[in-house]
Formats: sequence, C-alpha cells, structure tokens
Amino acid sequence: MTMTESPPATETQSVAPVPSPAVGLYDWISTSDHKRIGRTWIRASLLMLLGTAVVGILIGFEQVDASSVDVFGGDNSYFQLWGLYRFALVLMVAAPLLIGLAMVVVPMQIGATNIAFPRAALAAGWGYLLGAGITVVSVLAGGGWGALDGVSQDEADAIALTLLGTGMVIVSLLLGAICVATTVISLRTSGMNLLRVPLFAWSMLVACTVWLLTLPVAIANLAIMYVDLRGGPLTFGNPEGSDAMYAQVAWVLDQPQIYAIAIPALGIIASIVPVIAGTRQIAHWVMVAFIGVFGLLSVGGWSQPYFANTSDEILYIAFGLAIVLPVFAVIGGAAATLAAGDAPVGLPAAHLLGALGAGVILLAAVVSGAMKVIEPFDLIGTSAHTGLMNLTALAAITAGLAGLWFWAPKIGGGFMPSGLGRLVILDFIAGALLLGIPQVVAGFFDSPDLMVTDIDDSVVDAMSLVSAIGAVLVAVGALGVILALIASMRGSGDAPGDNPWNGHTLEWATTSPPPVGNFDEPPAKVVSEAPLLDIADEEVDA
Amino acid sequence: MAATTTPLPVAPARRPRTALVGAMLASGAAFMTYIGLLAIYLVERSNASLAGAEWFPEGVVELGPSGWIFWTMIMSIFTVQWAEWSIKTGDRTNGLWALGLTGLFAAAVFNQLWFIINDTGFTLVGSTPEFMFFVLNGAFIVFLIAAVSFLALTMLRALFGQYGARQADGVGAAAMFWNTVCVMYFITWYVVYVTK
Repeated sequence: MTMTESPPATETQSVAPVPSPAVGLYDWISTSDHKRIGRTWIRASLLMLLGTAVVGILIGFEQVDASSVDVFGGDNSYFQLWGLYRFALVLMVAAPLLIGLAMVVVPMQIGATNIAFPRAALAAGWGYLLGAGITVVSVLAGGGWGALDGVSQDEADAIALTLLGTGMVIVSLLLGAICVATTVISLRTSGMNLLRVPLFAWSMLVACTVWLLTLPVAIANLAIMYVDLRGGPLTFGNPEGSDAMYAQVAWVLDQPQIYAIAIPALGIIASIVPVIAGTRQIAHWVMVAFIGVFGLLSVGGWSQPYFANTSDEILYIAFGLAIVLPVFAVIGGAAATLAAGDAPVGLPAAHLLGALGAGVILLAAVVSGAMKVIEPFDLIGTSAHTGLMNLTALAAITAGLAGLWFWAPKIGGGFMPSGLGRLVILDFIAGALLLGIPQVVAGFFDSPDLMVTDIDDSVVDAMSLVSAIGAVLVAVGALGVILALIASMRGSGDAPGDNPWNGHTLEWATTSPPPVGNFDEPPAKVVSEAPLLDIADEEVDA
Repeated sequence: MAATTTPLPVAPARRPRTALVGAMLASGAAFMTYIGLLAIYLVERSNASLAGAEWFPEGVVELGPSGWIFWTMIMSIFTVQWAEWSIKTGDRTNGLWALGLTGLFAAAVFNQLWFIINDTGFTLVGSTPEFMFFVLNGAFIVFLIAAVSFLALTMLRALFGQYGARQADGVGAAAMFWNTVCVMYFITWYVVYVTK
C-alpha cells in the first residue's frame, strides 16, 4: 500500500516552534479563543481516557475468572465500575475528545475567526469536567446507575449524584455540540456551501445534530430516575435491587445510538487520506451523502426500553444491517482516493495509521452490530453488546488520536512525536481489536453482558483473557498518548511550518500555531471542497 | 510542500446569524428532552390502561384552567412576534411593550399552573399518574423559567440599545425559544388534559 512518512526534513524549519504565549490561571478559565478552549476539552478527555482504561483493565481481569477473582470486593462494586467504564468511555472520553478537536479545527476549516458562542463553549468544557468529576466521585462513594443488591439510603444519595453528574456531562456535550454546529451552519466563509465544507466539519455537523436530537432523551430518562429516587413510585431504585436504572439509559451505549459517537471518525478518515494521497477526494459529494446516511442510521432515541415494541424491533434490525453500507462506502471512497493518489511509499505517518486503524475498528463494529441484530445468532444481552460498544467508542477515539497527530501544528503549534505516535496508535488499534472482537465472539457462546458469575466455557475463558490483554494495550496506548502530548507541549522538535502535510483545506492556510482570530485577513471565496488545491492548480495553470 | 502561509484573496464580509441558529439548535434539544418525558408519560399511561387501572380519578384534572393557559400562550405568541417585528423595524417602544406583555403572560401561565398543581392535590410520592403529572409540569416550569429569563435578558439588551433595526437576532432567538415552549405546552395540553 502506498503510504507516507512524517514531513520530510526539507519542509521543516530547524528552529524551535513558536511557543504559545504564557497564560495565567484567569486567562485559562476565561479565554474566548476556540483553540485554548478546545485544548482544555482534549486534555481533559485524554486524562479521562487513561483513568477509564485502568478501570477497563480491572474489569477485564475480573471477567477472566469472575468466580474466584474479586478485584472490586463484591458484585455491586463491580456493577458500578462496569457502568462507569461504559459511560466514561463514550460520554466522557470519545465525545469530548471529538468535540475538543472540532472546537480547535472546525472554525479554521470553514474560514471563521472563532467558534460560535465561545463563552458557552468554555462553560461547556468546565461543565463537562465538573460533571465527569461528580460522576467518578459518586461512583467511588457507592453510587452508579443502580445497585444489584438493593439501594440503601446512602447509596440512593450517591446514585442521585451519579445521575446528576451524568446529566451535567450530557448537557455540557450538547452545549458544545450547539457551538460546533452553529459554527458550521452560520460562520462558513464566502462560497463554502455545505457540499464544500471539509469532511471533518461536515461529519461534526451531522454528529452534533444527531446528538442534539437524541441525547436529550437520555436527559429525560435521568431526570425521571432522579426524581423517582426521592420516593417516587416507579421503583427504578427498588430496594430489592436490580440494574433497572442502568437499563433505562443503556440505549445510549447500544446500537444504533452508539454509532452516533463515531460519525466524526468517518470525517477524520476522509480528511486525512486525500491529503496523504496528495489528490482530491474521489466523489466528494458521495462521501458527504454517506456520512449523512451514517448519521441518520445512528439516530437511536427510539430504541430506549420505554418505546420497545414490534415495529421498533423491525427498525432495530433494519438500522443494524443498513449501517454497514455507509461505513463501507466511506472507507471504500477513502481507499480509492489513496490508491488513485501519489502517496509516497514508506513508513506510514501516525495520523494515517490512526485513520486506517479507525476505519478497520469501525468496520469490525458495524459488522458485529449487523450480526447482533440477526436473531438466530441470539447475541442480544450477551457480551457482544460490550464488544460492539468498545469497538465503536475505540474507533472514535482512534480517529480522534489520528486527528490529534494530523492537526497538531494547528492545535499546539508543533508536531506530536511521530515515532512514539506510530507505536501508540498501533498499540491502540491492536488493543481496541483485541478488546472488542473477543467479546463479540464470546457472545456466540452465551457469555453474558454483565458477567458476575463465571461461565464454564473454555472459549469464553480464552476470549476473556484476550480481551483483558486488549484492555491492557489500550491503557498502555492511553499512557503513550499522554506522554506524547507532554513531549509536544514541551516544544521539542522541529517547527512544522504552516502547511507541513500539503493540506487542502483552509486550516492549512494560516500559521502554526494560528494567531488569535485565525487568519490575518478573511480567507478567499471558496469554489470547491479543496481551496488550497484550487490555488495550487491556478498557479500551475498560470 | 509549502512551509509558508498560502496567500489568499479577501472574501466579502457576511453577516452571520449565530444567535438564531444557536437558538434553533437549543430549542430543538429542549423540545426533544420534553418530548422524551412526554413519551415516558404516554407509555406509563398506556401501561395503566392495559392493566385496566384508572389514570387520573374522575374530575381531579380539570380542562378549564389548562385551557386558560392554552389561550394565554396563544396570545403570548402574538406578543413575542410583535416584539420581534417592532425591534426589527426600529420601533423600540412597541418592542419593549410587547416584551413586557409577554412577560406578563408568562407570569399568568405560571400562576395558572401553580393553581392546577394545588387544585389536583397530587403529591410527588403518590401514585404513578401523580408522579408523572408532577415531573411533566415541573419540567415545563423549568423550560418556562428558562424562556422568561431569555426574554428578560433580551428586554434588557433592547432597553440599552443593543438590539435595534440593524441587529435583532437576539430578539428572534428569544422568540424562537418562547414559541418552542408554547408548542411544548400545546402538546401537553392535548396529551395530559384533553385526552387524560
């Protein structure tokens, strides 16, 4: 396969990157610069990734031998941290990472000077941090999304706090989504219609719209449970104990809704590959259409337990099968572009590895999801659900990491370490596949979604062990990302120049790091989806 | 590969409508939250009906007061649009009067809701219908307060000249959110009070 290396030495400048101006605490908490706001989201989500990955390891090893290994000191604690891992991975890592990336990159991609409602974006960032903190602390204090052995009064208070924290995180994500979507809708530069919007910005618009239409339903679920916990009659927190509370919001982590978290992954893949290939994306409008179709098929508010009936089951099966098509189409389009281009042969750059890896993981996820909805396989309620969730969320995170490496010159002003990046991303891809696929396979052997007792099946045991190894790799990858980020922040290495990858879209027309306001003067009237290629073509023609 | 900034010709300036777009998205999210609650209400009521149980006792939830709220909200739609149109056309005095009148209608709606809740005698820890009635009305009051706060902020900004004929997007945004809250009530009125 044709691949590319990180930027050749001839294109870098052997001077230190321009450091970001020193900022005080007040600037940090009150900035209205979208790049700083986005960086806050990204750093917080990467720290959450590390914590979540550690919990993932503990859960993985508990499941290797559920009857004799007791990492958590009881089924209830296990259930609480099992829930925390899931909600954290999807709502506190994947979504904030992608929103943070979008907050930095999208305004520049569409030629805007800032994000829409920057103070709201900043408030959303702090709200997310506070909500995530409340959720984690409340779970450690015995809260969570219900209790298997009954809800005591103390637990009811902690559970209420968990619901509040989760609600805060979702509201913050929605506020961030409003800022990003409004930016794409109303702040595009002249000539940039929606068909000419860069694919990452387009995918974020689709994702934010789907999140805004569906996640509020989860807020409704949380609100009902929160009030009911205070003596209401619906008994989600019934004293006999059950996972009824978790079940009310589990639809957020199940298909089709879980796919909504991975919509931006398609946009990142389709943004990186044409740049590496050094050519325009083949059939750009088809990619736009299929990212939109993927978004439509990931709308899953209707699949929550309250609305379950026969017609919903038909929808569930239809959505589960149909969603494979847009993923194949987008990845196929990217592959065709890569093949048609003139990407240099060599060791692939970290961001290309990440983009290709995210595509592979997402394909594994949607194929697993398609198998899950085929009734004879009988995978519903099995560990295939966990596998699907892990694969989808980790595809989104891998794409986010690819974006982090790709847009690093615009995010922080310098490159992310390329050698460490390759290792980290390869490790992350391997970890994601080893974590998720064995869980799907174990589902065929009736391994339950929540394994509190050991399953006497050698295949399930083997799959659990492989899955636990995958969880370790993901955690190592998360640690590697943090180290790479620290190395990047310390400013070591060459200055990237303004357009080190020969990018096609407007974010590459400004300096690295971009100034406050992004552009010294308003960008050109855009006449295609690749304005910088247009300029290069004009220069060649001239 | 280029290592320097690509020179680009200057694009003409555009007037973004961020306030309107943001309000549209926020209104959509608020509406979906409320619709989620309403859907849960309908499912619980349907379950009770299938079990042969009575939802509300006869004569407890009256249509009359809720109808007054309905008509008050209809009037408020006219006043909030009046406010938007007045400020857009530079008639700040009429705009402020219209906003004030909308606020008055909001206070009337709040008062009528309070009366209904007290009149039913429902408690939060009572039966499922009582609980759902409380949750739905409570959520509506939260959105009503949010809409009134938005209108009040808009009124203050209009008062100090921030909104006028050249820039009235903020008023349009507040009006859009207010209208969304009105639609929430119209659906509630039909689902909770008319069809019971």
